[in-house]
Amino acid sequence: MIEKDNCENKTDEELVALTIGNQDFFSCLVDRYSDKLTRYIMRISASTREDAEDLLQEIFVKAYRNINGFDQSLKFSSWIYRIAHNQVISQWRKTKSRPQVIKFEADEDFLKFIANDEDLALDTERKFESEEVRELLKELDEKYKEVLVLKFIEGKDYKEISDILEKPLGTVATLINRAKKQLKKTIKEKGFEFRK
Amino acid sequence: MDNLGDKVLRKIKEECICPKPRWQFLMKDYFIWFLFLVALLLGSLAFCVVLYVLSVNDWDLYQYLHTSLVGHILISIPYIWIIFLAIFVLIAHYNFKHTKSGYRRETYFVVGLSVAGSLFLGVFLYILGTGEKIEDFVETSVPMYEKIACCSTRKDIWVQPSRGLLAGKIVSVMDARNFEIKDFSGSAWQIQEDDDTLEYDPLRIQPGEDVKIIGEKKMDFVFWAREIRPWKNKGEAHKANARLENE
Repeated sequence: MIEKDNCENKTDEELVALTIGNQDFFSCLVDRYSDKLTRYIMRISASTREDAEDLLQEIFVKAYRNINGFDQSLKFSSWIYRIAHNQVISQWRKTKSRPQVIKFEADEDFLKFIANDEDLALDTERKFESEEVRELLKELDEKYKEVLVLKFIEGKDYKEISDILEKPLGTVATLINRAKKQLKKTIKEKGFEFRK
Repeated sequence: MDNLGDKVLRKIKEECICPKPRWQFLMKDYFIWFLFLVALLLGSLAFCVVLYVLSVNDWDLYQYLHTSLVGHILISIPYIWIIFLAIFVLIAHYNFKHTKSGYRRETYFVVGLSVAGSLFLGVFLYILGTGEKIEDFVETSVPMYEKIACCSTRKDIWVQPSRGLLAGKIVSVMDARNFEIKDFSGSAWQIQEDDDTLEYDPLRIQPGEDVKIIGEKKMDFVFWAREIRPWKNKGEAHKANARLENE
């Protein structure tokens, strides 16, 4: 076993290269991404923490199996998020049940990110009840939810989202814009008040 | 308690899970590129036949078919080859999108690239004469082809003596003004020429040649030829007298 301290100063991509020579280094990558990916899976699949962790184990094993196929032109984070995204979809197909509502652990984070976005220009001081957020998201089309999660909660830029969802940059931009528009419309329709 | 990193590592070790070798990923990527190129090539072959069929079409035929020029154009379009072209463009698009970085390109770019690739290569193959070879091959090996291909190569359209259209194979040459053909439906016809008959290069009035004739049915199995064209590749027109003088 390696000392985990050895991993601290290494980039993801360096750890990938080291993993090919010594599988023990892979646990550093797992440690680095397990919390983020657990939250991500829960957000996009509405699964419980236990289910998300089970799925996560499969995701990391799959990533390890395919480590030689890691595309050096991508960030490792984009690659591992892509595997997680695909695995969640394949899980949906297996169970044939798509989640109806995205379950957020940190609803206020989401709104903070939305609020900081220039286009939406929402009042950051507005306090939202969890119920209100759920109501807003219920109205949002399924196809927009994941892209919003990646942009506003995971903090990914357009290029990273494009690499994760395997969609062209233009499509990602369109999805985000449409999602924002729909969100704005829903906020208006629901009669929430905002201070510009 | 183990953290997830340790759990995953233990599973990897216990189940002896190994990373797939790099060559497998490379092979998969090369294979997808190969399929993309094959689809592009097949698309270009379809397009070179489109060009060929359009180039040998008798665009003036509509006068004899009692239809308008637009109507004639519509029945002359080689739809079957255009459908093939579209199918191969879609296959090329699908494969391109599944290359390692294909998803980064917009659909219109990939479709545009596939179409442009097929058209460019198709023109090149057409110049090399590939269109004609493919058409000949398909014509002889696919029985239904002449029923579905474009107008000028449809033999049934050319066997309408009452409308002034007749085509078939020359079986014998009686004299300078008369020869006999067996039309594509199997009937024998005597063909009569006169001073006004037009002939199109590269016509050869000799047994074994396929010809198409525009003229008039004089009586049963006797047909007067106003124009005689080679079955394919119509060139310049001249009076029948010119051929006779050369002979």
